[in-house]
Amino acid sequence: MIEIRHLDLAIGKRRLVGDISVTIPRGEFVALLGPNGVGKTTFLRSLCGLHSVPTGRVYLDGEDLSVMSIHARAHKVAYLATDDLFDDALLVRDVIASGRYAHRVWWRWDESPDDRAAIEAAMDAVRMTPFAGRRFTTLSSGERQRVWIAMALAQEAPILLLDEPTGHLDVRVADAILTLLRERSRAGTTILCAIHDLNEAAAFADRMLLFGCERMLTCAPPDELLAGDHLQSAYGIAMQPIMLANGQLRVFPARKA
Amino acid sequence: MRGLIVLTLATCVSAIVGLLAGATWFAPATLLAAFSQHHSDAATILWQLRLPRIIVVAVAGGSLGVGGALLQGLLRNPLVDPYLTGTSAGAACAIAIGVVLGIAAPALPAIGFLAGLGTAAVVALLARRGSGIDANRLIVAGVSVSALLSAVITVVLLHASDMDSTQAILSWLAGSPAGRGWPEIRAAVPYAAVGFVLAVAMSRPLDALRLGDQRARSLGVNVGVAQWFILAATSLLAAAAVSLCGMLGFVGLIVPHIARRAVGSGAFALIPASALLGASMSILADAIGRTIIAPSEVPLGVILAFFGVPAFLYLIARTHRSQA
Repeated sequence: MIEIRHLDLAIGKRRLVGDISVTIPRGEFVALLGPNGVGKTTFLRSLCGLHSVPTGRVYLDGEDLSVMSIHARAHKVAYLATDDLFDDALLVRDVIASGRYAHRVWWRWDESPDDRAAIEAAMDAVRMTPFAGRRFTTLSSGERQRVWIAMALAQEAPILLLDEPTGHLDVRVADAILTLLRERSRAGTTILCAIHDLNEAAAFADRMLLFGCERMLTCAPPDELLAGDHLQSAYGIAMQPIMLANGQLRVFPARKA
Repeated sequence: MRGLIVLTLATCVSAIVGLLAGATWFAPATLLAAFSQHHSDAATILWQLRLPRIIVVAVAGGSLGVGGALLQGLLRNPLVDPYLTGTSAGAACAIAIGVVLGIAAPALPAIGFLAGLGTAAVVALLARRGSGIDANRLIVAGVSVSALLSAVITVVLLHASDMDSTQAILSWLAGSPAGRGWPEIRAAVPYAAVGFVLAVAMSRPLDALRLGDQRARSLGVNVGVAQWFILAATSLLAAAAVSLCGMLGFVGLIVPHIARRAVGSGAFALIPASALLGASMSILADAIGRTIIAPSEVPLGVILAFFGVPAFLYLIARTHRSQA
């Protein structure tokens, strides 16, 4: 569970989003939405201690993030950044095995049976076992994203933060990634995931957390958020909601005739 | 594991070749006899010349190989070598000034060691960001400080009053173990050993750092502390190597690349593999340098560049062909 109390985000003197208060229960899949530059990445980084926040508190499963050690933090939360990797010697299994860092004592360099089981389970969950011996840099964007998710799964952290995991992916691969994340949330992992595609977020998330200019606008179930006028105030353009045959709402920018 | 065994055997074979080779070649039986008889000419050559020289070259080559693997992993840049921290330029500059000032030759390796470490510390402080080190700033600071010190070396060379001083300075710059023996080994090996142990201890954080600082931090690595320890290990290893052999180029750059092909990129295997490969390559290159125009010698650094660089370029070309 993630509890955020009156969190203010800033980079240097630039204020991003202020007074964020929200609770994300265990096993919930929350999509993080908002225009470019609003502070989504900074928010995710703040929740795993990579960005220090001037005011506010974050509690991970009841523990205050600001007093947790780096090691203890890694047991609670896994963060998937969007930057790429340039070490062309790394194999897929090497990358996934790195997720076990916090579980291994410093004087043991070999993998324990627990490490091996976690690595193999993570590879299996993202269907990358046949790629274990491949060089990471030879993979496609979708395969790489699956490897990063497997690394986070191997970390066995109950909270998973992802920064645009479906960016640059085609619709089929994006669908597979989000389906996988939803499966993980159903299995008990709390997931907070920055996504740009509103309909993709609505199709998979339990709730959508929306940032607007310098403030958090709402955190609501998809149908409630898409039907309201928060999207217009966040993105500055009119939105047209459309009801699908299955009763779910989708939204598109309204075009003037 | 198989790669490490092969490299260990290659180092043993190189050491035997290094002991046999020289202006006077030993027959294997003579070498074996020299180990047990301490009062023959062969024993004198073995114990006073060849054995210490092989240890000097092996420690220097192995240290540079490990230093290269550490720094390439830390900076996520395959084109850096351990001299990037300014160690070699600082050591060479201090030694050049020491030679011109007439400081006794036995004191020069120690002066080089201290100056190399001091320069690396200055470069590291210039590259500081927060509690850790900025990779780009480290490269810029290392290159800039090295360029400044190289200019000082040029000025010293231009104003060296006699040919002997110029020759002594050039010998350091070319990278040669000539004249080094047991006292230098006793002085440098403890520092190289500390650097090696530190490198092995840092192998797991180094593996995580290759994924990027942010990812390493989110995996539980104290990135700032790991960066300082890795940089300290690199500086100790490079300073020990410079104090033993002067400026040996290319070993720190190419050895980690070849070692990765043998044992993969996991630091726990890569670090000993780089040590073994650096040692065996340097011993063989030194054996060639001692015999190719005997009784004169070609400096080790020159041989390493002549043989190592084409071999490395061939490996790169072959890799590109196989990936195409």
